[in-house]
Amino acid sequence: MAPTRTVKNKHAAPKGGGSSGGKGPRKSSDGGGISKGKSGPKAKVPATQIKGRPNLAGLDKNKKKKQRVYTEKELGIPELNMITPVGVTKPKGKKKGKVFVDDKESMTTILALVQADKDGQIESKMMRARQMEEIREARRAEADKKEAERSAKLEDTKESLRRKRKRATTTTKGGPGGADDEVENIKAVAATGTKAAKAKKKRVSFAAE
Amino acid sequence: MRPLTDEEMKTVLDKLANYMSDLKSLIAPLEDGDRYVFRLNHSRVYYVKLSIANLATSISRDALLSLGTCLGKVTKTGKFRLHITALPIIAAGARHKIWVKDNGAQPFLYGSNVVKAHVGRWSEDCPEHQGCVVYSMADVPLGFGVTARSTAEVRRLDPTGVVCFRQSDCGEYLRDEDTLFAG
Repeated sequence: MAPTRTVKNKHAAPKGGGSSGGKGPRKSSDGGGISKGKSGPKAKVPATQIKGRPNLAGLDKNKKKKQRVYTEKELGIPELNMITPVGVTKPKGKKKGKVFVDDKESMTTILALVQADKDGQIESKMMRARQMEEIREARRAEADKKEAERSAKLEDTKESLRRKRKRATTTTKGGPGGADDEVENIKAVAATGTKAAKAKKKRVSFAAE
Repeated sequence: MRPLTDEEMKTVLDKLANYMSDLKSLIAPLEDGDRYVFRLNHSRVYYVKLSIANLATSISRDALLSLGTCLGKVTKTGKFRLHITALPIIAAGARHKIWVKDNGAQPFLYGSNVVKAHVGRWSEDCPEHQGCVVYSMADVPLGFGVTARSTAEVRRLDPTGVVCFRQSDCGEYLRDEDTLFAG
């Protein structure tokens, strides 16, 4: 009853004065147990409003009540036998939060590490590039060489064909053995597969109407 | 505003080492006994004198817009992006350099890559995909990028072939004016 009284006094101080002045029916309604539903909410509303106000006897009591709520750790209840994952357990005594790098020594250490790492990477990259370049150069030289050989061979065959043709023309003019020479010449040309062979290609043509 | 953590410092220095040959000059003590430090505010990394950084602690994080030189931004995935504002620092200790002719300066400043026809000269023995600083022929740093090919390959490249992929250029001061320093 004490807290409700204080509530009444505090919040409805002028009302109380008024009631003492001569509001009989209200007093009776508060005191009587008939309209409990009405009196309940009336008492609750001021209680909430009072919370923010300091230096109240009722508030102190409320605080005390709140303090009595204990956590499980405070009560000393033994914890359940559960498995805690490795990552979850935090090491005791270690600083909470981020670890900053601000002192010169640690900065220099990190800097030296990064620099060495990067230098090594770049060096290896350049070495690899040089090796690849050498390989490419060698390949190119080889390809050039092959190309030169091929062209030289082609020139040789061309030259030999020219010579043979000249000989053939001279022999046909000179004697009867020229037909055999011509056949051989054709065979040689077909075997070499040079442009001269293209002359032997069969042609298809439509008959004129 | 806070100093960088171990991981952040590594990421930042790693990125800077792509472009710079000598990182130690970054934190070398100055004549007046002061030194430069790295500070992080709103995911931006600033390169600032220690004395100024200490003074800046009197300003709340939200109210502090910028201090020192902004090097770049730490992304949400933990990577670090260099901004054009870091160019003076990078250019001072550049590892590889490319000088572009006058006819190539404008296309570069408008955001294009550097093509072979625009290159005046470049530092020898440069591997591909390596950070380089782009200069004008008057030795004014214009921006930075990543080499598209090694120096040996560039020699055989046709004039329209890309030599350097642009990463950042001075034109960003105008193009990204609203997002460069805040946002």
